[in-house]
Amino acid sequence: MIFNSAARNAAALAVAFFFFGADARAADAEAGRAKAQVCAACHGNDGNSTDPAVPSLAGQPAQAIATQLFQFREGNRQNPLMTPMAANLSNADMNNIADYFASLKAAPPKHRTAPANAELGPQLAKKFNCTQCHGPALMGQQQMPRLAGQQPEYLRAQLKGFKASTRSDLDGNMTSAAQALTEKDIDVLVDYLAGLGAQ
Amino acid sequence: MNQLAVAAIAAAFAVPVLAQAPASPPPAWQQGKPSSMQESTLHPFAPHMTGRSAKELPVNTLKVPAGFKVEVWAEGIPEARSLALGDNGTVFVSNRISKNVYAVVDSGGKREVKQVLKGLNAPNGLTFSKGTLYVAERDKITAFEGIEGKLDNPGEGKVVAQNLDPDKQPGHFWKYLAMGPDGKLYFNHGSPQNITMPTYIQAAILRVDPKTGVVENFAQGVRNSVGFDWNPKTKHLWFTEHGRDWLGDDSPSDELNVAPRAGLHFGFPYCHQGDTLDPEYGKQRSCKEFTPPALKLGGHIAPLGMKFYNGKMFPAEYQGNILIAQHGSWNRTVKQGYNVLRVVVDGDKVVKSEPFVTGFLQDEKADPPMWGRPVDILVMKDGSVLFSDDYNGIVYRVSYSKK
Repeated sequence: MIFNSAARNAAALAVAFFFFGADARAADAEAGRAKAQVCAACHGNDGNSTDPAVPSLAGQPAQAIATQLFQFREGNRQNPLMTPMAANLSNADMNNIADYFASLKAAPPKHRTAPANAELGPQLAKKFNCTQCHGPALMGQQQMPRLAGQQPEYLRAQLKGFKASTRSDLDGNMTSAAQALTEKDIDVLVDYLAGLGAQ
Repeated sequence: MNQLAVAAIAAAFAVPVLAQAPASPPPAWQQGKPSSMQESTLHPFAPHMTGRSAKELPVNTLKVPAGFKVEVWAEGIPEARSLALGDNGTVFVSNRISKNVYAVVDSGGKREVKQVLKGLNAPNGLTFSKGTLYVAERDKITAFEGIEGKLDNPGEGKVVAQNLDPDKQPGHFWKYLAMGPDGKLYFNHGSPQNITMPTYIQAAILRVDPKTGVVENFAQGVRNSVGFDWNPKTKHLWFTEHGRDWLGDDSPSDELNVAPRAGLHFGFPYCHQGDTLDPEYGKQRSCKEFTPPALKLGGHIAPLGMKFYNGKMFPAEYQGNILIAQHGSWNRTVKQGYNVLRVVVDGDKVVKSEPFVTGFLQDEKADPPMWGRPVDILVMKDGSVLFSDDYNGIVYRVSYSKK
């Protein structure tokens, strides 16, 4: 069964707003905006990073952002910049920051995928099970981050980390999925994903 | 090296790579997926690790039978899993994929959540007996004696059993834990993957004598049980069991089982739901070899914690009933479950079953379809019932009043 992920996300969002109330969510995102001022230095003013090694957060699923902040604070995921950033955030702060970034619009990526990789990338993404969890269009859902249009060196570092079992992975799925990747597979996937959604 | 150069090199190597590299080993939950289902996008759901505030959630849409009331009892307990009740009223709450054990205590009339143990390895299993909290991690069981008197500094604890995950298995590595009427600690060891031939220690319910540390097999052929309790009348063990995935929406059914004695085999991986041979492992076997379930609960409904109700608050007809927290389903195109089920039993037989708490399932075809997921059941001293929800980090209370 394949269904349109954008339509599904829109439906899920509609359900969320119906039950949670748009006001409460907007208020949370507003509280998140205040807390997120410090993030802009690296992740960009509007959550769209311009540094190839720093991920864009705009338009990511809220649960994916909150889960990573949680892992930084709990020490599952180590990073000299992010660990101290997350150290003093409460769970509510993390949820608010996540809501804020999720509400921002992802800018079209500047990265341009090589034509050969534009053809190979989708095959590898299917073969290595990427689309199973990150969605048919690799837009992410729930705790699974959006990969389409993400910064290339960030993607590369994560894939290498999962393959080396050094990148924390709550449920083990990414570590498992990355084991069969060769360096060249990673190159193709990174080049493909970073340019996905370019205009 | 610039990006174009990287891309050019990648392109030059890409075709032979695609031809030669082995496919990625699927995650444990995807193992056993037949080629006819390769396009399926069904996937398990992960909890909100940072929890969600009850005020953002449609708690008032939860439904219970007439005379009953359901309310939020405690929140802000990330990934709230198993529940255990201390002699002095402390409620302990565990984690499965995270690392902590929490205590909910009464602090000057206000309920307070404290983190009491941290840095553990998937400490899903919790049980309390005679002043001691036992915690089952992925690979060991530890006893924390007198913990209620030293919640701020419970110490390292005493290891009761270890080396319980010798293969560092990829799936079903979390344990449920309960103290049996024989004074032994019972725990599960799940199948390492969706459908596979288990080793001597896997797909089983085991028990360990906390005095000697000797581990025994109690029941075999149990794919994964994350909930069990003993019928107070017969002293027989009842347990929930998750069936395999990727055989379709309704096949096989998850199970409620009863084990009147040690040594029974419940079918995995040969026979599912007592009457359905596995397409691969069951080819040359018969379901007659194995103990069938007492009740088929439904496909992929994921029954977790269960308790016999022996409190004094609920109406008399609830005495001796089983309450089961149902955490699924995900491996179905049309979702079901996400509720607390009431099962009426007579001896080793099931008389009937019906939903007891419903309302978490919002849209059976949405992704995700639910806003909360029941995990474990706890009967409190006043006869009310608590159940945990790991998706949001909330514990709810169900009470009854005659009026």
